[in-house]
Amino acid sequence: MREYELMFVIDPRLTDEEIVSLTDQYKEMIVSSGGDVWREESWGKRKLAYQINKLSEGSYMLFYVRSEAGDVFTEVEQRMRQNERVLRYLTIRTNAGRLRHRAAKEEPAAEVAETESTETSTEEVS
Amino acid sequence: MGARGSGKKKVFFRRRKVCRMCADKLSTVDYKDTRFLQQYLVERSKILPRRISGTCAKHQRIIQQAIKRARHVALLPYTSD
Repeated sequence: MREYELMFVIDPRLTDEEIVSLTDQYKEMIVSSGGDVWREESWGKRKLAYQINKLSEGSYMLFYVRSEAGDVFTEVEQRMRQNERVLRYLTIRTNAGRLRHRAAKEEPAAEVAETESTETSTEEVS
Repeated sequence: MGARGSGKKKVFFRRRKVCRMCADKLSTVDYKDTRFLQQYLVERSKILPRRISGTCAKHQRIIQQAIKRARHVALLPYTSD
């Protein structure tokens, strides 16, 4: 079982509905290539650390994905690259092979990190 | 009469630096945890060298990776001012 995180930054000028439909599209793509999006986070609009395409804000979305199969992200990544409304994306493996036995041991620590990130997101929204 | 070496050694009072991640027994860093990563950036947002922070090689590598990921998604700056 491989675990991944996919973060992407969308143009903040899109309406909420547009963002939802876009993320749903991406989610479907992941699901149809054999991935399981077991958790989804929306950080809302956040200030960017530096300007991208002359924008100083971005809408952050985060998918937590699990899968058994190999290339789950080929299609989504290709689409994101082509879509100029997606300013940035980042896919990372959260349980790298070599760290697997350690990650299993330190499950509680990982959970703490997760709740922390949700806290920051709620701060940003309010 | 050589007065050399007669106990006039230079004494440095240097605080012993210990890797903070080792001390806290952390093995991974989340690139989303910007508050943590910010501690490893100098004012101009450059990555703090090991020689200053005292981080061990292994953890420096992990921190470096996380900072670079955070920079890519604009959670942290590449440079400031």
